[in-house]
Amino acid sequence: MMTELPVYVLERAFNAPRALVWRTWTEPDLLAKWYGPGVETVIHELDVQPGGQWLNEMRMGESSGYQKSVYTEVVPPERLIMLMSTTNADWELAPNPMMPDWPATLLTVVTFEETDGVTQMRLEWSPHNASPAQIACFAGAVENLGKGWGAGMEMLAQILADMQA
Amino acid sequence: MNIDLATPSAPNLDAIFAALADPTRREILTRLAGGEATVNEIASPFEMSQPAISKHLKVLERAGLVTRAVDQQRRPAKLNAKPMRDAVDWLEAFREFWLGSFDQLDGLLDQLKHEEKD
Repeated sequence: MMTELPVYVLERAFNAPRALVWRTWTEPDLLAKWYGPGVETVIHELDVQPGGQWLNEMRMGESSGYQKSVYTEVVPPERLIMLMSTTNADWELAPNPMMPDWPATLLTVVTFEETDGVTQMRLEWSPHNASPAQIACFAGAVENLGKGWGAGMEMLAQILADMQA
Repeated sequence: MNIDLATPSAPNLDAIFAALADPTRREILTRLAGGEATVNEIASPFEMSQPAISKHLKVLERAGLVTRAVDQQRRPAKLNAKPMRDAVDWLEAFREFWLGSFDQLDGLLDQLKHEEKD
């Protein structure tokens, strides 16, 4: 039994007031404009309140990827907490075919802090209702994505370069 | 995440991530990047018993990161880089999805700020 779940964190500062950044997460036309690089994002539903959901389709050529997020906490303009899941086209939970042991649902915490007109946005992901195998898989990824990313990935890149040399 | 990385033969990324999560196993991989080695040779720089190293090698083998010759008594272990490439690519894709989204958000916020001024 793991007492502490692995968490993956990404942070980014935006040169904009917090209220504006908040709008980009909570207004469908704005959210569709930035979420998903190089894909066409179609928002089927966006109801930002506890229990409400965000139904998101990402079109990549012929195929589409689907995600459902259910909001558990909404504190404008400070914090959004949601359960993000990979789904099929009917919005039913479906494991990622490439990653059967990847947690189907990630608890996602987004926080916004403003200092002098600059907003620091922080995203945290952790497995939700995950099996030990899923938690282990996520922990392994975080090890490499997170603090171990730099050293670990540089090492792996070196190994790969050596292999190809 | 929905990241389109479909390939004809899906590697076992879960096993790869689990295998890579351990620092000793990553060191073993570094050692093997320098060339194939026996359990003895791998174990020497570690303060670890041969059985412990064998256990780590089994995890790496299951992940497809390492192959071991079956027809030799020494059974040297050899690095198999392809699955590692797949794992690295997947991790990169996840991160890049969000960093790419953040870049787009940056541009959008600039645009919104100008609109508010007008």
